[in-house]
Amino acid sequence: MKLFARYNRLNIMATVIVFMVGGFTFYLLLHYILVQQVDSTLQSEQQEIYQYVKIHGVLPEILNTKDQHEVFSKGVPVQQGYATVNYQGDGRDELYRDVRFNIAVEGEKYGVIVSKPLRSTQLLLNLIILVTLAMIALILVTGLLINRRILNNIWRPFYDTVGQVKQYNLSAPDAVTLQKTDIEEFALLNDSIAAMMDSVQQDYQALKKFTGHAAHEMQTPLAVIRTRMDMLMQQENLLNEYGPGIAEIEQAVQRLSRLNQSLLLLTKVENRQFALNEEVQIEEVVENKCAEFTEMMLERKISLSLSVTPFSVRFHRQLAEILTGNLVNNAMRYNKQGGAIVITLDNGLLTIANTSNLPALEQEQVFQRFYRHSDVKAEGNGLGLSIVKQICDFAGFTVNYTYVNDMHIFCVNFNASTTIGG
Amino acid sequence: MKILIIEDEPGLNRSMVDYLSSQQYLCECVTNYSSALEKIELYQYDCIVLDLMLPGGNGLDLLKALKKANRMDGVIIISARNELEDRITGLQIGADDYLAKPFHLPELSVRIAAIIRRKNMQGSNTLAFEEITLDISAKTVHVQQAEVILTRKEYDLLVYFIVNRNRVVSKNAIAGHLWGDDMDVADNYDFIYAHIKNLRKKLLAAGAGDYIRSVYGMGYKLAVK
Repeated sequence: MKLFARYNRLNIMATVIVFMVGGFTFYLLLHYILVQQVDSTLQSEQQEIYQYVKIHGVLPEILNTKDQHEVFSKGVPVQQGYATVNYQGDGRDELYRDVRFNIAVEGEKYGVIVSKPLRSTQLLLNLIILVTLAMIALILVTGLLINRRILNNIWRPFYDTVGQVKQYNLSAPDAVTLQKTDIEEFALLNDSIAAMMDSVQQDYQALKKFTGHAAHEMQTPLAVIRTRMDMLMQQENLLNEYGPGIAEIEQAVQRLSRLNQSLLLLTKVENRQFALNEEVQIEEVVENKCAEFTEMMLERKISLSLSVTPFSVRFHRQLAEILTGNLVNNAMRYNKQGGAIVITLDNGLLTIANTSNLPALEQEQVFQRFYRHSDVKAEGNGLGLSIVKQICDFAGFTVNYTYVNDMHIFCVNFNASTTIGG
Repeated sequence: MKILIIEDEPGLNRSMVDYLSSQQYLCECVTNYSSALEKIELYQYDCIVLDLMLPGGNGLDLLKALKKANRMDGVIIISARNELEDRITGLQIGADDYLAKPFHLPELSVRIAAIIRRKNMQGSNTLAFEEITLDISAKTVHVQQAEVILTRKEYDLLVYFIVNRNRVVSKNAIAGHLWGDDMDVADNYDFIYAHIKNLRKKLLAAGAGDYIRSVYGMGYKLAVK
């Protein structure tokens, strides 16, 4: 439920209650005043009757009209006072106000009832109910109109801001421009969001720098370890004794330095440190990469089917090589003995499909850093595909993964380029 | 052969000196900009191993100074900053090669050997080990006058082994040399083995001795037994 709708509902409910209570009170008050008036005319009627009896010594003649009704009952005393009575049985189908008193005329006792109809108060009640209902209806209608106008106009800056925030992308912070607004609350909201985005952006930049620096600082110690290992290996008596251990260290250093290089590359792509200013013949890159891997594919009895049509795109040669290299490498690494790789490049749509012993991968996670399928031994460093994704994002290409007919398929669309990098 | 090593990280500097000295190079080493400049001004080297980020200055300035003095010393840049721009700038100024850290010592050695060979074109451009001779410019291999036909990879492998003779070279170093750092072949050691097996077979068939042997699963070594 929208904030304003909720507010409006409360508001209208309160107003309706106030109007009803007000209308009721108003009715009671007016009713009281009118009855008082009727009572005072009844009192003067009573006085007149007393007066008449005193002067003439008989009761006046009864002249019943629709405004007045008199009853004299000889020998039947009445309870004296005023009362509201509903006469229904005798043809007067209305509420009346009575004054009842006893009077003695020449020794005879009479009970007198003088009645006047309360017709006007009834009218009043109807009127008040009508006015109250009309007011309530009016409030509802205006509420609806105001609501619509507010949602359309006054709240527009709010929805603009929300829309902008939804589009916010850490790597393209300039894409968000918050509209100026003269409504204080929204201006406050915009200011807060802008401040938040600034600090997030600063943290992000710092983090990016940190990753780059950290990876970079690790290169020298890695170089020391690696060269020392190369030296250590020359001591054959040492190898004789600690061979497997040294081999493991050397292997770990290899993985560490590879991981480090991948992190550096990833940071560089994220930081847009590559200029997309070369025309790259994608089919050439793909063919070269496949040629590099041919021997290894033969070794593992993997069949390669390659069909490409020329396609040129504004890109970065080294990135193009890394992109295709990573995909082809994966297609081979996770393949099975005697499996197949099918590569096609058609109209800028590069499809690399491979057989594998692995089941379908999780679509959502496959491009995440350090994602590995649970069945995979820690062979790769888990960054290959996130590098592919990052390069595609940077250059404005799209990449996706599907699993069809027992084939893992990665598809890069070089056409999607509305180049944003540069 | 004189080599100057300019590298501020002592551990790395020592490793390089140790390895290269054992290959009959005469090594001198410095760890900062000013002493490097001093050495360069006083002596001539066959090859200079140059780190870019040095205490007291940038290695590229040393390179500029060398080129300004019209010196012919070979230069190989070693840098932790594996940036394409650095590589391009370095090579444009006149470096002969560029090697990103962390590298393998046999790789450094084979690159230095290549630079020195190129610089000494007037000398014989051959590489020999016992009865095996390589003509570097023609890329041919002979065993006692009989030519051995090798594939590109096998030839590269043989050059690598001969330059790093009597040294154990790890499988990772070999893989990095043959396929470059971009390709992760860590899970393809069998593949290196296949190449080495073929190379050995061809050399043996041509009448050469069996010089390449596996060392404790770590790597391989070319040596006379």
